[in-house]
Amino acid sequence: MNGIGGVIAAVLVAGAQIAAVAVGGPLLVGVMRKVRCHIEGRVGPPIHQPLRDLRKLFSKQCMRPDQASWVFGVGPVVLVATAVLIAAISPLATTHPPLGQTADFFAIVFVLLLGSVALALAALDTGTPFGGMGSSRAMTIGALAEPALLVAILAMSIPAHTSNLPALVRIGLAHPQLIASPERFLALGSFLVVILAESGRLPVDNPSTHLELTMIHEAMVLEYAGPDLGLVILGESMRLALLLGLLVNLLAPWGIADRAGAAALVIGLGALVGKVVVAGIVIATFEVFTAKLRLFRLPELLAGAFVLAVVGAFTALVVR
Amino acid sequence: MSNLSLVITAIAGLSAAIAGCALPAKTRVHAAVAFTWGACIAALVGSLTVLHTGHAMVLNSSRILPLTGVTMVLDPLGAVFVVVTAVVAIASTLYWLGYASHGLSTRTASAALPIFVTSMLLVPAAGSVATFLWLWELMALSSLLLVLVDQRRREETRSAAQWYAVMTHVGASAILFALVMLSAHAGNQTFAAIRIHAVHLPAAVRNTAFLLALVGFGSKAGAVPLHVWLPKAHPEAPSPASALMSGAMVNLGIYGIVLVGDRLLGGGPAWWWLTVTAVGVVSALFGALHAATSTDLKRLLAYSTADNMGLVLIGVGASGLFATTGHPAIAAIAMVSALLLTVNHAAFKGSLFLSAGSVQVATGSRDLDGMGGLLRRMPITGAVFLVGGLAIAALPPLNGFVGEWLLFQSLLHGLPTSSTAVAIAVPVGVAALALTGGLTAAAFVKAIGVGFLGRPRSEGAATAHEVPRTMQLGAALLAGACVVLGVVPMIVLPALERATAAAVPGAPAHSLRSSVELRLAGLQGVLAPALLAAGLALAFIAVIAIRRLAQRRSHLRLALRRAEPWGCGRELQTARMQYTATSFAEPLQQVFDDVLRPDRDLNVSHLAESRYYTEKIAYRTSIGDVVEHNVYRPMIGAVNAWGQWARGLQNGSVHRYLAYGLVVLVVILAVIV
Amino acid sequence: MSGSAYASSLELASGVVLVCAVVTLWRRSLSAIVKALAVQGVALGVVALILGVGKHDGVLIAVACLVIAAKGVVIPVLLGRVVAGDPASREAAPIVNVPASLVGAGALTFLAYGATGSVVALIPTTAGRLIPLGFATMLIGYFAMAVRRKAVSQIVGLLLVDNGIALVAFLATAGVPLLVELGASLDVLLAVVVLRVLAAQMWSKFGVLDLDEMRELHD
Repeated sequence: MNGIGGVIAAVLVAGAQIAAVAVGGPLLVGVMRKVRCHIEGRVGPPIHQPLRDLRKLFSKQCMRPDQASWVFGVGPVVLVATAVLIAAISPLATTHPPLGQTADFFAIVFVLLLGSVALALAALDTGTPFGGMGSSRAMTIGALAEPALLVAILAMSIPAHTSNLPALVRIGLAHPQLIASPERFLALGSFLVVILAESGRLPVDNPSTHLELTMIHEAMVLEYAGPDLGLVILGESMRLALLLGLLVNLLAPWGIADRAGAAALVIGLGALVGKVVVAGIVIATFEVFTAKLRLFRLPELLAGAFVLAVVGAFTALVVR
Repeated sequence: MSNLSLVITAIAGLSAAIAGCALPAKTRVHAAVAFTWGACIAALVGSLTVLHTGHAMVLNSSRILPLTGVTMVLDPLGAVFVVVTAVVAIASTLYWLGYASHGLSTRTASAALPIFVTSMLLVPAAGSVATFLWLWELMALSSLLLVLVDQRRREETRSAAQWYAVMTHVGASAILFALVMLSAHAGNQTFAAIRIHAVHLPAAVRNTAFLLALVGFGSKAGAVPLHVWLPKAHPEAPSPASALMSGAMVNLGIYGIVLVGDRLLGGGPAWWWLTVTAVGVVSALFGALHAATSTDLKRLLAYSTADNMGLVLIGVGASGLFATTGHPAIAAIAMVSALLLTVNHAAFKGSLFLSAGSVQVATGSRDLDGMGGLLRRMPITGAVFLVGGLAIAALPPLNGFVGEWLLFQSLLHGLPTSSTAVAIAVPVGVAALALTGGLTAAAFVKAIGVGFLGRPRSEGAATAHEVPRTMQLGAALLAGACVVLGVVPMIVLPALERATAAAVPGAPAHSLRSSVELRLAGLQGVLAPALLAAGLALAFIAVIAIRRLAQRRSHLRLALRRAEPWGCGRELQTARMQYTATSFAEPLQQVFDDVLRPDRDLNVSHLAESRYYTEKIAYRTSIGDVVEHNVYRPMIGAVNAWGQWARGLQNGSVHRYLAYGLVVLVVILAVIV
Repeated sequence: MSGSAYASSLELASGVVLVCAVVTLWRRSLSAIVKALAVQGVALGVVALILGVGKHDGVLIAVACLVIAAKGVVIPVLLGRVVAGDPASREAAPIVNVPASLVGAGALTFLAYGATGSVVALIPTTAGRLIPLGFATMLIGYFAMAVRRKAVSQIVGLLLVDNGIALVAFLATAGVPLLVELGASLDVLLAVVVLRVLAAQMWSKFGVLDLDEMRELHD
């Protein structure tokens, strides 16, 4: 009985987390856009506009380039599928997500990388110069962001003696002094820069530009239309929400559900939404006052993040 | 019974070589392949028995080789390498059946390939110095013959073969010195005797032997700065030979280092393993960078081999380091991760080289800048290359990811430690792991995307046809191994643990507990690759289902429409306007300009009438190997200059030569006086 | 034969061997050099004869006669024929001029005395004290090979080396077995015959017998 009950509970928790991320992602993007518009003195579209855009896109005809292969259609699906999988197993609303023992931080990073690679390959399949350009720039940024990311994970894993994400969040909840430590701050600072790079926000990439010289992510998805484009937009917003959710749970895990039970889960979801919205507002505000960096200044930014992470790792070693 | 398997391997290999030499052209390749399969299967049976029971297989004969006799000892560590070689060989020889019509059906090639395979199968089973060196030399010479197969058609083949011959023999002489020194001190040339005597060796002898072995075996494994032969020889060899060289031969370099460092010398001081780790870090970064910026498909794969072997060396070095600082359990995990990385590399690199060979046969060239759109014209080869590329980029749910996860875990759990060496080595190792992972992902997105996707960029790519069935099957076999090893790595892990117990002194018998998931014993670290794969598949199906659902609910219900891509509204879109491999790699090349130092040649020619008007601008850029240009060519230049100077000694005068003799005689007599 | 007569005749004969070696360095005319070689061969035979008579060894006396015949007569005659075929039968400017080569010969003799000191200590007989002379002959012969230009001079040098070795062998061991001596003599004879043929060929093809002019390929 416990077995089947446990499985049903796990499926419910997973479904709740996935739904939260799938619906909350576009809403988060809407909130960030609204904040930017308000600061710039405009009214801006309503917060649920991205959801309406998605509904419109899914009802349109699907169009693909004539010389593209099956990779073009599969790319967005893999992007969303990886985001769905991570949403199901990450400690977003609860510290005991389903299959939580599989949610190794390293594994999650590489599942996200799978999504990026799928999109990059699909971009090259279009046969236009823009696809290649976006793909090339995105893979360069990804390659340069990886060292910062993995060393930041190392820095966070050293005090906890594990790289399992739910365990990291549980330990943070149990020992707040681990969160207020310099190595955690340094690692999370580096992680934040990597999130900005991976989800294509300023100062790495302008999500609303369509100029050849400045496009990175937008160039990759230029040829998508209809449901394919809907999936791409959904996937991107889900990734942003996921990464920010992981960031806030590592930085300030209070409110996350620590035990089983529907009430705790609801409180956890609410806390997650609240924290992620706050993080989104902060990032949107920061974006208003920042200009996009030149492509060849990005290695400096990412190298800075790498150095932060290395200093965090050494601090973690020395403090032990 | 199991002792017989090695004998059967040797006999079958020899018969394959004789069949390849003696039979007429129609049947020689088939007969050679059949006998080689027999050799591989016999070796597989023998080594699987060894791995299952954990007992080594010993064979002694003093009649086959004069003076020294033949001693074969197959223990679990060697058995792992034999299994890997056998599987890669079966796939490569299957591929050879279809490839033979492209120049690999001559008598020399048909004899050399089976000898190559057999010597690689028997090297890990060698139990004495003489046996090891004989088999090693046989392997080197047969692979040299294979590299030279195409030498009449291409000029570069001869130069590549020259580099390969010199470097492999420099390596072989270093190995010779190391092993002979050890056996001279032990008074006996069998490995068992050397092992027993190793504790009595003075430190200077141990250090020299280890360093020489590192140089010799490291050069075979492709460690920077001894790697310069790899990107020359691997592309020039025919594809089955390249797959064997990259998938099986470089592993034997790793086997040699573990053999000398752990099994013969029984471990050593920390600085040994720090050196190995440092070499690994440099190789991994250098190889990954050159792979990311290379436009020749096979050269890309060769540099990527150097990169992967660098990662394996990081694992081996970390294992030795942890063993020295007193953490045998984590040392065992690090060694298991190194072995797993080796096995994974054989699977995906073998399949990548075989599919690259298919591409070369179909399009007529190896240049990525001229390919494109091959996935539609060669669907199976394209799919196999895709699987191989995703596996090497360490993406779940394939096998590269499991290996890198295990390496990362062993590095992570090696801290906390009180040793500063470890405290510095581990973050450096992790950073190197990360950067090479990112660069490899970029390199293979480039290879797959520019090579197989988009539109054909040249005539050769536009008229490509799918290759014969055996060639597809050979590559697909290894790609299938990638998938299986990625989803259920547990089938190889017990064998690797037994091999580690044989290699690392003091290792616990079970450092991993694996059923459906991989669990590190006594530590917090779990990975469930099967569950990840199942989760991904489930999510994939769910998303497709939801999309279908959403489309069905739309009122338009229109079918999929194919149209010309928008491309920013341009009317004329040719295939030449796409990004090429060079352009794809350009941002990375600019970021790492100081390390790569590309040659740039810009020629601006002006009109005759006025210098203000340019007529033509020609730009040429090429990325050579920095180590080759700055280390090897000056060395070769110095040797050449010394040789030219020495020519003055030989001016043809008989009197001069007699005078040399007289002077030496007088000097010797004076010394006696 | 009385002891002192034995010793002094032995010394005389050995001295003649060495002097002939020096003469080959001194004289420039090829025929004179060949004659010196002949005298040296005879002196060598006389040494063997004296030793054989002193020890009442018939085999050694036979060997001595053989040596006189081969080294004193046959070989010089053969060489003489070669020299006769070459009109310019003088050694043109040698690489090292005559005074210098004579000084070199002296230095080599000193070196020979120094180097064979331990050997002489081993054999305290009259014959043993004369071993350095044979050694010096050998070195002078090698020197002659190195500094002389003409092919004939070089074969003369080779023969000097052989004579020196034979002298040392006779003095040190009181004779070598007949078979060994036969073998050595046959070798040398063969070498001379070959040179005869070779010199004839060189002369007919190139017109010179000067080795230094044959260092490069000609059309």
